Amino acid sequence: MVNLNKLREEANKIVNRDDIKYIIGWEKGTYGFQVTPFFATTSDDIDKLIFSPLCIHNLTVFPMLEEKLPMRKGAEEDTRKIGLVVKGCDSRAIIQIIQEKGLNRDDLVIIGIPCTGVIDPKKINEKFPNQTKPVNVEEYEKYFIIKINGKTHKILKEELLMNKCKQCEFPNPLVYDVLIGPEIKNKGKNIYKNIESFKKKSLKEKWEYWEKQFDKCIRCYACRNVCPMCYCEECMVDQLNPQWVRRSVNVSENTAWNIMRAFHLAGRCIDCGECERVCPAGIPLVKLNKKLEKEVIEMFDYTPGLDVEEKPLLAMFKPEDPEEFIL
Amino acid sequence: MESLILAKNKLPELIKRIQSKYLLFAPTKTDDITLFKPINDYKEINLEFCNSKLPPKSLLFCQTETLFKFKQGISAEVKSVDLPNSKNVIFGIRPCDSKSFTIVDSVFKDDFVDPYYMKKRENTILIGLACIKPGVNCFCTSMDGGPANSEDLDILLTDLGDKYYVEVESKKGNEIIKIGKNFFSKSSANDKTRKNEISKKAENAITRNMKTKGIVEKLDNIFENPLWKKISMKCLGCGICTYQCPTCHCFDIQDETTLYDGARVRVWDTCMNPEYTSHASGHNPRPARMNRTRNRVYHKFNYYPKNYNIIACVGCGRCINDCPVNIDIIDIINKAREVKT
Repeated sequence: MVNLNKLREEANKIVNRDDIKYIIGWEKGTYGFQVTPFFATTSDDIDKLIFSPLCIHNLTVFPMLEEKLPMRKGAEEDTRKIGLVVKGCDSRAIIQIIQEKGLNRDDLVIIGIPCTGVIDPKKINEKFPNQTKPVNVEEYEKYFIIKINGKTHKILKEELLMNKCKQCEFPNPLVYDVLIGPEIKNKGKNIYKNIESFKKKSLKEKWEYWEKQFDKCIRCYACRNVCPMCYCEECMVDQLNPQWVRRSVNVSENTAWNIMRAFHLAGRCIDCGECERVCPAGIPLVKLNKKLEKEVIEMFDYTPGLDVEEKPLLAMFKPEDPEEFIL
Repeated sequence: MESLILAKNKLPELIKRIQSKYLLFAPTKTDDITLFKPINDYKEINLEFCNSKLPPKSLLFCQTETLFKFKQGISAEVKSVDLPNSKNVIFGIRPCDSKSFTIVDSVFKDDFVDPYYMKKRENTILIGLACIKPGVNCFCTSMDGGPANSEDLDILLTDLGDKYYVEVESKKGNEIIKIGKNFFSKSSANDKTRKNEISKKAENAITRNMKTKGIVEKLDNIFENPLWKKISMKCLGCGICTYQCPTCHCFDIQDETTLYDGARVRVWDTCMNPEYTSHASGHNPRPARMNRTRNRVYHKFNYYPKNYNIIACVGCGRCINDCPVNIDIIDIINKAREVKT
């Protein structure tokens, strides 16, 4: 369990600095198990800052969503730093973006949180449906403690955790300026059980499966917008001349979009799972991401988002890289 | 208005008879997601749902619709497409979603009657199903609606346990009653009381409230308020809230061509997308997410009521349910009303 006082104390120090624009963290949401991204700009905001096992969002997306709008004559750009609260997985997104030169390390002040896993919103809403009032969740040893209408529920963490958290290899942030609390020693092991079993299906079965999934896509692009790695100035699907993907929503164009999204994340996706969490159509996008992640590991022995000094996979060459695909 | 009773075990047969004359759409469940889809067999229907993921607007105002086709080059020609002639029934639609049709009708038959939407609208009968268990973010009662409101429907069914209480609201509704004549029986005063009890219970189960009194005038005075910037900072700019909204009705028109053939299609558009207001000159009058988030709220709660005398929100709660960052329209409006001017 994260020490909330320590988090607020450190955040308060940071937010009061002259070179800080704001700190991005979480605050209580408007109903049920919702918590919501929160921008603290002054000391007064700090009391609203929270961290709980419900803080699922990868906030690294927000520095990437910052808009650079045309400025009035004589106006000066706000070059102050952004404070960012991150979990282990989120921190890998920062590293990856820094490697790609999408962010400058000096422009960020990172508050790292050693994370013991976050709750899958689907699982908790299924277990405790129809919660209108905001509910807080705490952590105690192997359990989540959930207080609803005066009644305390003690649920095994295993039942509610996100699947990605159960096999998390990086619970501790890999890059930070301040760390809230001691590092976590208990680490998971990344396994590809689902990918392996899916691989065994026939080509026809696999195609039918994905065709059914992509048919559901409504092209709201929430998967793209929530992804810290999707920060192209102009996304290929938005281009009009040439128009790579048509605006028509049908299985053909949807497939083009979904494959394109997954491929552009090969060797870059850090498996935060945000795309799948936000998808209103329930498309299992992590399955695609994991498949590419596995390919990259097997071919290039490369895991993205581990070291700020390293180069991105597609920006480097090693003589021992496999070349079977070159005729 | 006529009130009847339909025994539940007669429903499959009634559905069968409706299907012999109409194209039937009803809620179906695949992989935990309920959507309105064309039904072949009664068994495909799932009535154990709160509301469908996408509103049934997608049946009349399709996400992708061909307006006409053309050939390019020397032998250029334009070919119109036939408007669908089918007679449709949407079965199991919720009162809030049926109200959304009444709301967007104003747009589609304003100065220019949109044949693509209106033709389908005229050919469609709405058989509603009253909500027994409203969802967490349902707030239809704040929007002059109710879980068992029948006014925007042709027929409303209310589940009384072993039977449905059937309220017939229109001539179109009577057509269905005629088709299933012997399935319906007269209702008693007791049935009516039970219906009212159930409807009252459902109303009481709605706990979230939006206060809309004076909102139109209030929004007129707080256009430049920092509130909008604050709300929009966490907005991702995706299209979930607008695509899932039963009253959002904006579309983009595109020519999609191969070398010789082409079609002019319209597709849903979203004001959350920067391209939505992007001018050919490169100028964008809504350059920031703040402008776009604010526009969504203003269109529903200020511009629309000014143009058509009704708020363009039915309180279905879909935009709240699925927003990835908990942007909550109830919270926004309640906060906007409290802003000091």
